[in-house]
Amino acid sequence: MVKRPVSGMRAWLVQRASAVYMLLFIAYLLAHFIVDPPQGYAHWRAWVLSPTISLAASVFFGATLLHAWVGLRDVTLDYVKAAPLRIGVLATLMFALSTAGLWVLRILWVGQS
Amino acid sequence: MKFSIYRFNPEHDRKPYMQPFEIDLLRTDTMLLDVILRLKAQDPTLSLRRSCREGVCGSDAMNINGRNRLACITRVRDLQEPVVLRPLPSFPVIRDLVVDMTRFFRQYHSIRPYLINDEPPPAKERLQSPEDREKLDGLYECILCACCTSQCPSSWWNPDRFVGPAGLLQAERFIADSRDRATDERLDDLNDAYRLYRCRTIMNCTEVCPKGLAPSRAIEKIRLAMVKNSV
Repeated sequence: MVKRPVSGMRAWLVQRASAVYMLLFIAYLLAHFIVDPPQGYAHWRAWVLSPTISLAASVFFGATLLHAWVGLRDVTLDYVKAAPLRIGVLATLMFALSTAGLWVLRILWVGQS
Repeated sequence: MKFSIYRFNPEHDRKPYMQPFEIDLLRTDTMLLDVILRLKAQDPTLSLRRSCREGVCGSDAMNINGRNRLACITRVRDLQEPVVLRPLPSFPVIRDLVVDMTRFFRQYHSIRPYLINDEPPPAKERLQSPEDREKLDGLYECILCACCTSQCPSSWWNPDRFVGPAGLLQAERFIADSRDRATDERLDDLNDAYRLYRCRTIMNCTEVCPKGLAPSRAIEKIRLAMVKNSV
C-alpha cells in the first residue's frame, strides 16, 4: 500500500524502552550521589571509569541519543515539510547525535576529554 | 445574548470576518442550535449544517468558544458571552459554518471500515459472544462529527497522512471485532511514521468528543496490538 522507509512502531518502542532505561539509570545516579557522594575529582573519575559504571553510562548515552533522534525526527516530520530542507535537518541531526555519541565513547573508553 | 459568528461567502468575500449578532433568549431556547436557527431568521444568509437536533447525526459540529461541540446539545445559557462560533478548525470552509469534510471521510475510508471475512458465511449470522461484543463498546458509537479530528494538532500538521482520531477509533472498532479476519493487514497498514504514529497522546480528541468516546484509548490499544502482533 504505502512504501515504509520510516517505521512507526519500532521508533515508538525505542523511545519508550530508552526512556525506561534512562529513568532507572538517573534514579540510580541520584541514589548513589545521596548515599555515597564522590570525594573529589580523582574519586569521581575512578568511579565513572569503573567497568560497571562506564558500561551502564555508555548504554545510558546510547539510549539518550536514540531517544533524542526519535523525538527530533518526529518534530521534523511534523513541521519541516519541504523535502530538501527535511533531508538537511535530519542529516544534520544524524551527524550531530553520532558525533556526541562518539565523543562520549572517547571520554569513557579512550580516557580523553 | 451576544454572538460573534464567522462569516465567509467565497462568492462575495475576499476574506472571512466575524459578524456580531444579538438576540433575546426565549424560554424555549435551551440549546445553541435553537438560537442559531432564530439568528438565521434574522439573517437568512447565515449557513450551517444541522439535522437530527438531538446529538446523533454529527451535522452541526462547530467550534463554540474555542472548543468543538455539537450545537444541538450545547446548553446556550452555559456559554460565556459573546458566544464565538467558528467552523471546525483546519477544515476548508465552504461557507460560513459549513466545512468540507472530504479529507475527513477519505481518511475514514482508508482504514477499510467494514468487516473483512472471506470464510464461507454461516446459515444465519456470524456469531459473536457477549464478551466479544462488549469489546466494541466505546468504538461503534462514533457519529463521525469530526470534533476530535479537527481539534487534533497532529491532524492540523499532517491532515493528508495522519488518519486522525476518528479514523483510528474506527480502525480499532474493526481490529477488536472478533468476526474480522484482516487484523494483520489492518495493523500493517497503520504501521508507518504517519498513519497512526503522528499521535502524540495530546488527548484533545477524548476531551472534545460529544459522545464521550476515547480515541486516545483506542489508539493506545492499536499500538499494543501492533507490538503483540510483531513480537
